[in-house]
Amino acid sequence: MGTVLEAEGLLVGYAGAPVCGEVNASVAAGDVLGIVGVNGAGKSTVARTLAGRQASLSGDVKVHGLLIDPDAVPFRRQVSAVFDDDLFFPSLTVREHLLLVARGHSLDDPETRVEEELEFFGLVGRSHAIPDALSSGQRRRLLLAAGLIRPSSLLILDEPEQRLDPRMRVALSDRIAAHAKDGGAVVLVTHDPQLLLATASTCLVIDEEVREFDPEQGASIIAGS
Amino acid sequence: MLNRESLAQSSELAADVVRFTRRSARRYKRSRTSWGDRFVDAYSWGLGIGVSLTMAASFVLALRTEIAGRASTGSIIGEQWLLLPEPVLWTSVTFAVLLVISNLARKLGPMTVSGAESTWWLSLPVDRRPMVLPPFFRKVALTAGGSAIIYLPFSLVTAVDRTAVDHILASLTFAGAGTVAVLLSAMQQLGWWSRRTAKITTTAALLACAVLPALSWSLWPPALVAAAAVGLLALVARRAGRVRGEELVRGGAVAGHAGASLFMMDANEVLRALGSGRQRVDGGRAARFYARPTRGPLRALIRADAVAFLRLNPPLAPSILWLAACMAILLVEGGLPEFAQLAVIVIAGCAAASGMGTVARKTALVPELDALLPLHPALVRTSRTLMPCLAMALWMTALSGLLVLLGAADPLLMAVGALAGVGMGAGTLRAATRTPPDWTAPPVETPFGPVPRAQLGSLLRGLDVTILATIPLLVALYLGYVPWSVLLVQAVFSAGIFLVVVLSRPKRT
Repeated sequence: MGTVLEAEGLLVGYAGAPVCGEVNASVAAGDVLGIVGVNGAGKSTVARTLAGRQASLSGDVKVHGLLIDPDAVPFRRQVSAVFDDDLFFPSLTVREHLLLVARGHSLDDPETRVEEELEFFGLVGRSHAIPDALSSGQRRRLLLAAGLIRPSSLLILDEPEQRLDPRMRVALSDRIAAHAKDGGAVVLVTHDPQLLLATASTCLVIDEEVREFDPEQGASIIAGS
Repeated sequence: MLNRESLAQSSELAADVVRFTRRSARRYKRSRTSWGDRFVDAYSWGLGIGVSLTMAASFVLALRTEIAGRASTGSIIGEQWLLLPEPVLWTSVTFAVLLVISNLARKLGPMTVSGAESTWWLSLPVDRRPMVLPPFFRKVALTAGGSAIIYLPFSLVTAVDRTAVDHILASLTFAGAGTVAVLLSAMQQLGWWSRRTAKITTTAALLACAVLPALSWSLWPPALVAAAAVGLLALVARRAGRVRGEELVRGGAVAGHAGASLFMMDANEVLRALGSGRQRVDGGRAARFYARPTRGPLRALIRADAVAFLRLNPPLAPSILWLAACMAILLVEGGLPEFAQLAVIVIAGCAAASGMGTVARKTALVPELDALLPLHPALVRTSRTLMPCLAMALWMTALSGLLVLLGAADPLLMAVGALAGVGMGAGTLRAATRTPPDWTAPPVETPFGPVPRAQLGSLLRGLDVTILATIPLLVALYLGYVPWSVLLVQAVFSAGIFLVVVLSRPKRT
């Protein structure tokens, strides 16, 4: 399987100050890279930098061998990223938000794809609700649905388990695993040992020094043992 | 890279996404707004605009009449050792306004996306031009219209001998110049030039544009700026899809924050929004001074406030420019009426004072931090007021020193100016801690009709004492000498304002 994402000597942080150690990692198609660490360790900053949402302090990030450019059309086509951005069009319904993404990515039969995602994320009953009328967990589901409805060769998820009920977490882990099985690469930032064990093939522990472990060790580190 | 065909498809797809979003939003809004509501909105807006225009027109015409007959009026200065030709002054003012338009446009984008658009649109693999251009074109059109409306009264007041057609041509020329200012900002946003080149090019272009409205006795100046604007617009429109996403989001965030604050008429929030784009806070400035050991919480707080002031306050340029503006108004050929000269001094003082309130505005957001210190709130407020008072005392001393040099009054005026500065500096803290206007509070019935007293009180808080602090100084300038009684009254005014500011606790929302 070819390498989808490569990070070499990557330093991330704010105002010139790194928040964690140097990140060196690569994710091949079909792999799920778990990223774990304590609060404030810099996991989300690493994820945001890998997704091109934030400039790195130093080092390179490449997707399919090319340096990332979040404004380039091919990059936007390849990379799907879901962060905890609670930003929605206030007057668009759940269904309309998903339709927008489906159409913007030129999916065949967007209506059917939207119905499938609504079904999967348990949003059928709320499909005509505007974001303000949704619960926090439902808004999270909508963001995840938007990230997963579109094709991508690299999926970056920042703590996707947050605000989800246990049943949805299990469904999500199956979905992530299926995405990897279909040849997609996944970067998964998580605090959930079960989700990590069910999906990840390798695991980075973010701290002052960034180290690679197998998912079992990563899950133990999350659990604090 | 995308080839031409796929770019066209991508552009069409983006336009489809934008249309879809807008159509859905419109349908939703229509379903929630009745015709009655729309009529009331249109009526209120129409009435408000009509009343404002009538008041503005009557003020402008009165000012025009006053200026036309100014040969009979005096000046607050005794000697005019430098004569500034009138066209030079008005061209400088035009240039300054164009610079403000350009800077504002750069702070607010000018090409932007809103928060939701950044999440849902920018991640799509499509050409971004259809997403970015329609609101940008609206901004350009608004700037052109607004510039024409703003320049017309300016032209009426400053060039009383022009015909009506000349005034219209001058306004159209300025509208074009305003458009050019926004388009030059858009080119900076596109990263067309390096920072330095952008500054030089923009300044040179705007300087050329500033000269043109004064030459509007023929059609060529408006035609020239219109041609420049159209050319720049074509260049920007072609490349609008290449603005970095980060830039679009930044501009959108600042514009959204500033727009919402302006709608609520919350001046502090407007200033916070416009100041949020500042790239650098000099974290190293005065580090040694701060690191020196100190005793007691009050001294530690004063030191922290002084360091924060030195690190956060805007550069010296605006204060110096306001000083220069006062001088220019006084030295202009023919001279302005005394009341206009005094008004410019008050406006310049209020603007300079407002610039000194950055620290107070920032700390006002988190009053809980001040409550953590083992100090009486009045002492905390005293500490926060010291630096603005010192800075304004220096500024007012410089201004009154220049006025003394121009023979406006005797050297005692400098002492009056310094004291006035203390009161004006205290006003910045009062302004920084004012609560946003409560638009739900009912107006108070008065013999002149209902007055929104609560809202006016909130809007004028801070500005009230800043103006009050300048009154004895203005009296001295009007008299042309400084009686000891004026010095005494100024001292009492400034001390009183300082005490009122530090002893009154701000209301919390």
